[in-house]
Amino acid sequence: MIYLSQLIDQKVWDGFGHVVGKIDDIMVNATEKSAPPLSALVLKGAPENKTMIDAQSIASLWPSVTLKTDITKLVPYTPKGHELLLKQRVLDQQIVDTEGKRLVRVNDLQIARKGEQFFLTGVDASANGLLRRLGLEKVGKSIARTFKKEAKTHVIPWEFVASIEHDDPLRLSVSQSRLVQMPPADIAAILDNLDSHTSKALLQGFPNEELADTLEQSSQEVQQAVLSHLHPERAADVLEEMDPDEAADILADMDDQTSERLLTLMEDDDAEEVRTLLGYPETSSGGIMTTEFAWVPYTYNVEQALTHLRSSEEALEDEFMYYVYLLDEQERLKGVVSLRDLVTAPLDQPLSKWIDDDIAQVTPLTPQEEAAYLVAKYDLMALPVVEPESKKMIGIVTVDDALDTVLPTAWKKKLPRFSGK
Amino acid sequence: MKRQFKFPFWLRRIFLFFTIIGPGLITASADNDAPGIATYSISGAKYGYGFLWIIVLITVGEVLVQEMAARMGAVTGKGTADLIRERFGVRTSAFAMACLLLANIGTTLAQFAGVAAVGELFGISRFLTVPLAGLLIGLIILRGNYKNIETVLLILCLSAFSYVITVFVIKPDWGIILKEALTPTIKLESDYLLAVLAVIGTTITPWGIFYLQASIADKGTDLKDYNHTRLDVVFGSVWGNIISAFIIITTAATLYPKGILVNSAEEAAMALSPLAGSFSSILFSVGMLGASLLAVSVLPLSTTYAMCEAFGFERGLNRPVKEAPVFYSIFVGIMVISMLFVLIPGIPLFRIMLLSQSVNAILLPVILLLVLSLANDRNIMGEWTNKRFANVLGYALTGLIFVATIALLVGMFLPAA
Repeated sequence: MIYLSQLIDQKVWDGFGHVVGKIDDIMVNATEKSAPPLSALVLKGAPENKTMIDAQSIASLWPSVTLKTDITKLVPYTPKGHELLLKQRVLDQQIVDTEGKRLVRVNDLQIARKGEQFFLTGVDASANGLLRRLGLEKVGKSIARTFKKEAKTHVIPWEFVASIEHDDPLRLSVSQSRLVQMPPADIAAILDNLDSHTSKALLQGFPNEELADTLEQSSQEVQQAVLSHLHPERAADVLEEMDPDEAADILADMDDQTSERLLTLMEDDDAEEVRTLLGYPETSSGGIMTTEFAWVPYTYNVEQALTHLRSSEEALEDEFMYYVYLLDEQERLKGVVSLRDLVTAPLDQPLSKWIDDDIAQVTPLTPQEEAAYLVAKYDLMALPVVEPESKKMIGIVTVDDALDTVLPTAWKKKLPRFSGK
Repeated sequence: MKRQFKFPFWLRRIFLFFTIIGPGLITASADNDAPGIATYSISGAKYGYGFLWIIVLITVGEVLVQEMAARMGAVTGKGTADLIRERFGVRTSAFAMACLLLANIGTTLAQFAGVAAVGELFGISRFLTVPLAGLLIGLIILRGNYKNIETVLLILCLSAFSYVITVFVIKPDWGIILKEALTPTIKLESDYLLAVLAVIGTTITPWGIFYLQASIADKGTDLKDYNHTRLDVVFGSVWGNIISAFIIITTAATLYPKGILVNSAEEAAMALSPLAGSFSSILFSVGMLGASLLAVSVLPLSTTYAMCEAFGFERGLNRPVKEAPVFYSIFVGIMVISMLFVLIPGIPLFRIMLLSQSVNAILLPVILLLVLSLANDRNIMGEWTNKRFANVLGYALTGLIFVATIALLVGMFLPAA
């Protein structure tokens, strides 16, 4: 990630290693609202007519600013009237929220590369940005470490910063509280429109759990891009926080070397579940199932079952828990009861009432479409997945995972969501 | 509602005047804070009326500096710290804010020490007076809006009248006073120069600049009415310095002829009573209490405004506590720290105040340079940039203070000769 503060006063080298000048300011094309492309570098100490350099001729900005061509062939940039000077007009300016309340100042600006072009992506409004400007970033990090906290960089996407009227403060187009509390899926939707550098930048400030939730809602490209940019240790931590079936999907899309490395970095329990899931073809029920589901021993009565569920880790991790499965000692499926029926039943009633030999179920290798068909046919919220030889129940296919096959992901996002998560 | 009769013209002018005065008068009155009163009474007792012409000189300087700050506030609607951050970036801001915070905590503490001293003159424990004063001011600032806080502060400004009355009780020779005030005399002794510097340092202050500009911006002064604002600032500065002069006259008329030297304002108040009657001594103390309370409100406010501006947090007396939590937290924090310092026994108060004065002295020329540069910036001020006259005087003043500051600091840290 590149920040404006790291670029100001940097030497600019031409293609042949000659110093052209030092960066004084950077211009972006202000007509582009979401991620304005850089239009020119404004230099100081440069020969006359070379004080503005077209951003097209930038070869790299980091770790050193180099140009593609030699100094004599540089074409000077002619301002077109839509430029915004970042240092002069944006850096250090006040940001106000939708109600005009002062929030914070622009401590730094984030610039990202996509392909050959550079874009202004966001406003760093965090204390980290302030420390970076003061040259004290390392100090800040070590202080944060002593307090066992992550030094967070909070970047507001440029898209949310309304255009700058003359001399007005920068106005956020969403309220500050909305920006923080924005549901992960919405953030994911925004991310899908941004390039991978930006998403990466945005998400680095997130706690692992939130990042995991966001990624679950993101497109495959964004998932891959974000995880591949994270430090492997952190990527593994994020994968642990995700549902095992989602984690397995992501890992299945990676090359074997990377996924194996991430799996070894993950905690054993989580890695084991994911490995099992990875063993099944992606289009099978095993490939889409989740291994976290609520179950109780079938010999219990209602009261014991409820107590068991309260303390059971698997039950707590069950995303929906529409059903509670009844298993024997060998984890074979004996029956199923909806949570509603269980809660409304008298406490002393034995679970045997719900034992059933003929439960709709699939094997891990049952094709995804068939699972979807069963779910639709019996109007189920989830379908148990049972190992054919041992009869062991190993997971459930939930309705939304099953429907993924029938409805493309993009459609699903527009439907009302089933979970309140 | 239609008026049945019109007030006479002169009365209407007086009413108008009282609706105009505000930030300028408050800032200038707060300049005559506890350390200020101490400085004036000590200098008056030591050098007599001969010191008065310095006040005339300082008045010009104060009007000049405060008018620049007021003009920037009215033109931009922003505080000094806003402009410094936007124009000079993070490093300069961070340096200025660190100095301002340190210096202002020290000075706030001096005000609480002033409150404690007045209480103790009347035999009331500081453990009662200091928390009471802190609570009172804290409540007013936290609960009030800009308008009624300003009214309270203006009422506190009235306490300065006690010095006017004191002087009329003493009945000095006005002819001599006028003559001495207009005849520049200079003594080339280090004590005298130090006293001159101390008087400049207590009158032209970084916090005064920050406070005045922020409160004019906060008040939302219209540029069309800038003449009124300027009147407020000029009147305030002149009035504040007249009060300074009256304090000097008080000790110059009573203590100086008898050769009585004092080391603090409390000592001056006590020394007054055998010479000019216990009434004048009480008046002198009341003035100091009012001044300390005023400065206790204004100083932390000035720091708070500046810090919030520099880092972009919501600020302003018209915002409820919920909407500007950082603003009010910094305010309460400074109050509490200062009060604790005064109340915890065994803390070397004098050293802390000396330190804060040095930090203030370092900060002042820096702030003056920044203010001069901002007030001349066309991008910021448009057609309201400084006139040449103001620039010449301004840079001269800054240069003078800079040289004097270095002399002061050298003198302070070299062992006393």
